[in-house]
Amino acid sequence: MATPRPIRFMDPYAEQFWAHTQNREFRMQQCSECGKFRWPPGPTCDQCLSDEFDWTLMAGRGKVLSWTTFHRSYFPEYPAPHTVMVLELNEGPLFVAYPVRMVPEDLREGLELSLSWTDGQDEFGEYNLPVFGPLAE
Amino acid sequence: MAVIFDQARLAPLKNTVAVVGVGETDYGSDYRGAGGKAVAKGEARYDSYTLASRALKRALDDAGLKKDDIDGLCVANLSSERASELWGMNPRWSGGGDAAQSIIDATMAINSGLCTTVALVYGNAQRSMDTAYGGSRVTGGGITSYFYYAPWGLTSQGALYALLFQRHKLLYGTTEEQLGAIPVAFRKHACMNPNAVMQKPLTIDDYLNARYVAEPLRLFDYCLINDGGVAIILRRADMAKDCRHPPVMVSGFGWSEQNVDATQLRPRLKDFYHTAHHDVAAQVYPMAGVTQKDIDVFATYDSFSVHLLASLEGFGFCKEGEGGAFVQNGRIEVGGELPCNTSGGMLSESYMQSWNHQPELVRQLRGGLGQRQVQGAEVAQYVHDVAGKCKSIIYTKGG
Repeated sequence: MATPRPIRFMDPYAEQFWAHTQNREFRMQQCSECGKFRWPPGPTCDQCLSDEFDWTLMAGRGKVLSWTTFHRSYFPEYPAPHTVMVLELNEGPLFVAYPVRMVPEDLREGLELSLSWTDGQDEFGEYNLPVFGPLAE
Repeated sequence: MAVIFDQARLAPLKNTVAVVGVGETDYGSDYRGAGGKAVAKGEARYDSYTLASRALKRALDDAGLKKDDIDGLCVANLSSERASELWGMNPRWSGGGDAAQSIIDATMAINSGLCTTVALVYGNAQRSMDTAYGGSRVTGGGITSYFYYAPWGLTSQGALYALLFQRHKLLYGTTEEQLGAIPVAFRKHACMNPNAVMQKPLTIDDYLNARYVAEPLRLFDYCLINDGGVAIILRRADMAKDCRHPPVMVSGFGWSEQNVDATQLRPRLKDFYHTAHHDVAAQVYPMAGVTQKDIDVFATYDSFSVHLLASLEGFGFCKEGEGGAFVQNGRIEVGGELPCNTSGGMLSESYMQSWNHQPELVRQLRGGLGQRQVQGAEVAQYVHDVAGKCKSIIYTKGG
């Protein structure tokens, strides 16, 4: 059984993002007209208003921008202390995730991290959650 | 995209509308309850309409007006239809939103001739109702809410401001001790305000010894959760003279929203919302005909202490990155160079989601506040910045 997690926001575009994670594919919408990457998923490019897009496979690399550690438990699935960070992905978008295979004390501004997967489930079903950790040696 | 502010159209609105009445509920005694102990969350005693109604009556009394003098109504956290029914009003114009937005909208409505005298009324029984601002009980708010990142365990407005402060620390070397000067100053102000919820002095050691909630923010960086209501009466300036107190003029305002890539947290973490701050500054100061140096009393939206750092830097009271040093040594306290949130703010007076700052600035300009009075106060500024939805109001002492 997959790990229970707090419920995802779901709409027709989020549905497609999460569907790709079932194959452990980290894909984001990329505008077919101007090439801008889009996050969170949605119907329109905010740069050119085109509704044509591809689900482009992301490199899965990013640099640490900021982080916070919860010292109070807000979700039963994430008892305190729990650290969440914001990365700037190589393709441009900022992305929220939590660090894996490292202790939060080792987070640094600009630290380069790479994509990992962990399992998850909520009332919408099972999926894989993109998380980030140190680059492989 | 070039932003052009049409001062030729804005400037004539300066001083066309006055604040003639303010009213608030008894934040402190309502919080403590009959036995003097804080009322438990979820122990419903009031609803939001009870609190709003009480504040409205007090604001009308303060203005020396009757409810039938009101021809426009802005409500916040209430249904406009129910509120006007409850108060026996058939408004000729109605609006809503946060305090700054409502003041700007009402000023425009009065100038257009739709109405002459607007009541702005807010009520929030958030403690009685045990309102949650994070965690698994929050399941709405749409994409732009912190709710979006719940699968990774990110929740709460506090965590979003913790990320902002952590970024400030990383970029500029700002320290947690420097940030602590803000809640310490606001608590000092609350201790001079008998209506404030918090009355116990707070030292920097108390601050640093308190627990983290979302690190690097600690308990005292967070606003209160308490019940209350606020009402403000705005009136066409030429009709303000027969009211009970000398009018306080709405002399300048500005509005700019920074929503592009908001869910990604880009404007928050890459810009500290300074683009919106700069836009608003370029409107509000020229319209009022003042500069930062003329501001005698300052108030900022302070659901979290770090709001003040961002707005002081963004509005040009200090350079970007220097907010931590700026707020030291009593500079932001009454008696200092730029007294900020002199009522105690939302950290220590009352979490009225922008509303309680307005009566305080009005009272400072009326004068007579005793030990927390800013001597000779003539120009006051409110800055509203909630996740990049930025507005500002400049008030001046009327004749």
